[in-house]
Amino acid sequence: MNERDLDFQLIQRIQNGEQQAFTLLVRKYQNRVANILTRYVRNSGDIADVTQEVFIKVHKSLPSFRGDSAFYTWLYRITVNTAKNYLTSQSRRPPASDIDAVEADSYDGSEALKEADSPESILRSEEIKQVIMNTIDQLPAELKAAITLRELEGMSYDEIAKIEDCPIGTVRSRIFRARDAIDKQLAPLLEE
Amino acid sequence: MKETNEQLSSLIDNENIDSKSLDALINDKQQQAVFSRYQLMGDVMRNENAINIDISEQVMAEIAKQPTLETVTPIIANEPTPIKADNNVIAFVKRFGQYAIAASVAGVVVMTSFMTSQPVVENSGIEVLNTVPFGGGASPVSLQASQKLSKQALQDRHERLEALLKDHQLQLQVQQ
Repeated sequence: MNERDLDFQLIQRIQNGEQQAFTLLVRKYQNRVANILTRYVRNSGDIADVTQEVFIKVHKSLPSFRGDSAFYTWLYRITVNTAKNYLTSQSRRPPASDIDAVEADSYDGSEALKEADSPESILRSEEIKQVIMNTIDQLPAELKAAITLRELEGMSYDEIAKIEDCPIGTVRSRIFRARDAIDKQLAPLLEE
Repeated sequence: MKETNEQLSSLIDNENIDSKSLDALINDKQQQAVFSRYQLMGDVMRNENAINIDISEQVMAEIAKQPTLETVTPIIANEPTPIKADNNVIAFVKRFGQYAIAASVAGVVVMTSFMTSQPVVENSGIEVLNTVPFGGGASPVSLQASQKLSKQALQDRHERLEALLKDHQLQLQVQQ
């Protein structure tokens, strides 16, 4: 984890007693943690509770986090251990194999949840996905390329600038404009 | 607002993180909401079936309930535990301790006199390990081993030793 990393900056602040910085780590990773948990926790009603337990454990352990590995790798391990403890408490066996941290990001846990989830929440999730994907689809080509290279390929601004043959400032602006366009559609939906 | 959000966008991507924008983000709920939505966009793009939950407020409320590190009293190893002088249990233990020490001393005296009065057991000649137990008097361990056999063995050893000495004296005479 390098010093330019947002996670590193936030962890340093938390370790220095700035507790409010932890809310950003929760906001950043809560959906990814919930998605990993769907592999273990079949009852959708428990997903939020177990996710909360994960972050409370993370908060307790943060003073001893030294940054030898990436924060997400560390968080992933805590998530899997918490999920296994949850299954043990429910007298259920954990799955025979674990998925790794990279696979976890693309793991489709929604199918497992659909059986137990309420129709309203399923409808809402579908609506959110549609709004995001439809807006991306309608973006000008250069904005679509910039946001895709950043979010899907994980490229840095410098790398995107080389590929798109434009200054870094332009990349920064294009990525922001793409996000801003999606946000204009997404914000009213989430505030309902 | 637009400029702030552009800074927020690059901050999410680990580009251009300055402490001023980070301070603003940490302390501004509105910016945090934008941060969450930007994050959600990425999650959905990477995985169309990504789950969308917001538990940040519940987590922070739960953390606030828990004791902070500052309130934990450190345990100092060298600090002696104060003992109340008027405690009846401690007084009893103290008196009992005195009796216990006296009994131990008496036991050691009896044991020593018992050991000195025991007949000296002949050493088997093995220098490596003394198998005679504390308090004197060894009993045979093996059912097949008998006192007669050990005396025989001793005699054999004496005979071998005498033979070796005689041989040595003969060699000395030859050398002279």
